[in-house]
Amino acid sequence: MGVSKTLRRGILAAALSLAAALSSPSWAADSLTMWVRASGANAAQHLVDLWNSGHADKIALTVIPDNQVVSKLAIGVQSGDVPDVISFDLIYMPDFMRAGLLTDITDSMKGDPNFAKVAPAYAHLATYKDRLYGTGFTPDVSILIYNKDLFRKAGLDPDKAPTSLQQIHDDAKKIRALGPDIYGFYFSGSCPGCNIFTTSPMMVASGAKILPANGDEEPLAGTGVKEVLQLFRDMWSEGLIPKSAQTDNGANFAATFKTGKIGIQGSGGFIISDLKKDAPNLDFGLAFLPGVKEGQASAFVGGDVVAIPKGSKHSDIALAFIKWELTDEAQLEGLAKNNILPSRIDLAANKYFQADPRIVTTAKAIGIGYVPWVFHFNDMVNSDSSPWIQMIQTAVFDGKVDEAIAAAKAKMKEIADE
Amino acid sequence: MIATRRGAMGLLYAAPAVAFVAFFVVYPMLDLIRMSLTNASLLGGGEFIGMKNYVKAAGDATFWHALAFTAEYTLFITPILIGAGFLLALLAVAPPRIAKLTRAVVFMPVVIGLGSSSLLWVWLFDEQVGLINKLLQDLGLIGQPMVWFADATLGLWAVILSIVWKVVGYGMILLVAGIQSIGADIFEAAMLDGASYWQRVVRITLPLTVRTIALTTLVSAIGSMLAFDQFYIMTSGGPKSETFTSVYWIYQNSFIYFKQGYGATLSILLMAIIFIASTAQLLLMRRGAGT
Repeated sequence: MGVSKTLRRGILAAALSLAAALSSPSWAADSLTMWVRASGANAAQHLVDLWNSGHADKIALTVIPDNQVVSKLAIGVQSGDVPDVISFDLIYMPDFMRAGLLTDITDSMKGDPNFAKVAPAYAHLATYKDRLYGTGFTPDVSILIYNKDLFRKAGLDPDKAPTSLQQIHDDAKKIRALGPDIYGFYFSGSCPGCNIFTTSPMMVASGAKILPANGDEEPLAGTGVKEVLQLFRDMWSEGLIPKSAQTDNGANFAATFKTGKIGIQGSGGFIISDLKKDAPNLDFGLAFLPGVKEGQASAFVGGDVVAIPKGSKHSDIALAFIKWELTDEAQLEGLAKNNILPSRIDLAANKYFQADPRIVTTAKAIGIGYVPWVFHFNDMVNSDSSPWIQMIQTAVFDGKVDEAIAAAKAKMKEIADE
Repeated sequence: MIATRRGAMGLLYAAPAVAFVAFFVVYPMLDLIRMSLTNASLLGGGEFIGMKNYVKAAGDATFWHALAFTAEYTLFITPILIGAGFLLALLAVAPPRIAKLTRAVVFMPVVIGLGSSSLLWVWLFDEQVGLINKLLQDLGLIGQPMVWFADATLGLWAVILSIVWKVVGYGMILLVAGIQSIGADIFEAAMLDGASYWQRVVRITLPLTVRTIALTTLVSAIGSMLAFDQFYIMTSGGPKSETFTSVYWIYQNSFIYFKQGYGATLSILLMAIIFIASTAQLLLMRRGAGT
């Protein structure tokens, strides 16, 4: 009887020890939740799969429709029901930081050697009052694409992309002369997002500053704004741009170039794989978006950032994931191997991109690119009624360039003051 | 005593419906009014700011332009929908073969989602591959393809055409029900008196379906004042914000600019305007029916 009692005590002690060991963080594997917006889901899935294959703590990815990310996160933070980590369109970063929706990760990231190699645009965008709240995750960037076949037919050098606004104009004229349904240039005239992505870098490259971070800053400052709008207006008046551009709300942003009837267009890094798949016979080149003068170039750094929402139940593991996604392993095997751009600029010319120099150029564009740090980005730029798109439409299609810039400046200032 | 008991029983029977309305209508309405007095944001927070949103709305040129545009759209499309709906309803109560064909063909678009039908019409109006430009060119009515959504007026009429195609069948069905409720003996008596078809339509069908016409007009006008999907998909509010409808502008403020307090204010203003307009419409029709 005495032995039996001792045995029972032993079993109980062993069971308690085992339970304690299993509940200890060093033994137990946790399951993290991650939200990603639909547009970035493919790239995020590659990273999450790679993480899950090598870590005990698994991540379950939930894809959120693009237009629901903001409301879901805001409601989640207020109700305490948030994912452990979230990836979203980088333009919302300033608004999210100011609203207190994200966790401060400054102390953990500042000393990280990989973080120092991330494109400066991301660190700039994810900083609010000298504190860091996120970093680059799955980038995209704007570039200039041109149709080499049309360049050849027009007597232009197919290996020489236009490197100034004047060259774009000159080349577009020669290409337009090839036929009634061949056009020199294209842009989506009713798409605010497309134009901040591809048109604003030409202005920035020419020395302009587009958006104000607060009511004290001057919006649309610099002559580059007018010079780019005037170029577009001239090309529109001369018929170098198809009429359909006026009403394109972005639906044909990528599709029009695939027809092979457009000479030059601003686009994004995503277009490379799109064109290879949808228009495999189209011979195209790629370069930085130029400014007024030779040698001036810029890009809009887009894509998604990653951050930890306030109230994350596994913020320590979420932070480990964020640090891991900046390592060589994640950037190369998770992103570059799948033809996705890395956010670290030192890995732009990696082994997976060597076969196609166009991807290397795109990856390098992230290093020279900018992203506006601005509240109310939707009001100022992204909405269908924004002063940004009103300015472009009034300047390009109505020819009132100065009037358009003045009206947009006043409206942007009013929004920035809110 | 019995009366009191009956009253209590009546309240008990009505309680579920009252609770439903209180929870799903009254409470959200009161919360909307509360929110309209705050600077609530989709990102959280919201402090009481009194009537500031209402003052801002008074000076919001885009909102008033959107309201005027919505009213213009409603004034154009409502008579078309009612007129075409009535004529089609006459066909739909004709001899069986014509009636069946009319009902099937005209009602079919009603079951298609508004988003799907709007996308369909975007492609039909496309300047490069759209069938409408091709048709107009083949008929010799236009030389070059038209860019329909580059012009606010053309865009408006393109949307009206798409919506008439989409919803005219709904009005037709309501009016068919109204026409069929007229006793056959009245028509027979009129025929014996030698009334022609159109005389019967004007003197009998029209006056006796006036209540159905009033209902259809009211439903159609309210639906048009709340138009959103078709403009969101077909014009995106462009060119230069000229085709924003009231609801589209409320959506922009609430969900794109995150300004939920201001969006609530605009919603209340729109609701008040629709309420006043609908009441006036009903009073006018009642007075018309009484004279």
